[in-house]
Amino acid sequence: MTATETGRRSAASLAGRARVLLFATARTAVGTRSLPWPVPGDGMTVRELVADLARAHPRVAPILAHCRFFHDGVPVTQLDERVRPGEELAIHPPYGGG
Amino acid sequence: MSARLSVRPLSLTAAFRELGDPTLGGVVVFAGRVRADPTPRGSVTALVYEAHRGPAVQALQDLEAEARRRFGAGRTVAWHRVGRVRVGEVAVIVGAACGHRTEAFAATRFLIDRLKRTVPVWKEARERPARRPRPRRSRRPSRSSD
Repeated sequence: MTATETGRRSAASLAGRARVLLFATARTAVGTRSLPWPVPGDGMTVRELVADLARAHPRVAPILAHCRFFHDGVPVTQLDERVRPGEELAIHPPYGGG
Repeated sequence: MSARLSVRPLSLTAAFRELGDPTLGGVVVFAGRVRADPTPRGSVTALVYEAHRGPAVQALQDLEAEARRRFGAGRTVAWHRVGRVRVGEVAVIVGAACGHRTEAFAATRFLIDRLKRTVPVWKEARERPARRPRPRRSRRPSRSSD
């Protein structure tokens, strides 16, 4: 299989799935740092995705209320933004650097 | 500007060098070290820092730009460790070089205060259980010769 074919297969496997990245307490509550997340072809809003995540992983639900969200590395300012297949939503609990 | 996430130890000397500029007379560098805080079971031995790298570096750069705009800082540094940082090691360095000390202190204070609130970095403590004192062996009563 050529590199191009491998790349095509990887891209195809992403179709219909976004990736959820979890950090700190959110990661501990869910038990993994990265989750593939099924989304319709036209995507779903950040609000819908976060609500689904809370239903699927009830331990993370109380943490989500205090989190910020980053969509493909950019801060989410509107929860109505749509996350589409192949994109990434990062979940940031309150920061604790320094 | 110098924004950095590093798995390697941070150097105060390197930070001071980064702030070097003969036209800037006020230089303040702040370093935050990992403390051996007591915990319910013992004491902290290390902190493990994780970051969302892209947004974290962007946030550090934004902070520096803001410090320059607000305080007229000519040079700034904003460096943070990631990974395991042992007690006594430096976890964060921020600093500013300005024309005079007042702005340099204010800019550096701004950098560290804002960094804690706005940069996607998290820490988790590693701790060592307190040692329990060994139970004292009771001495056998010495035999009396009489």
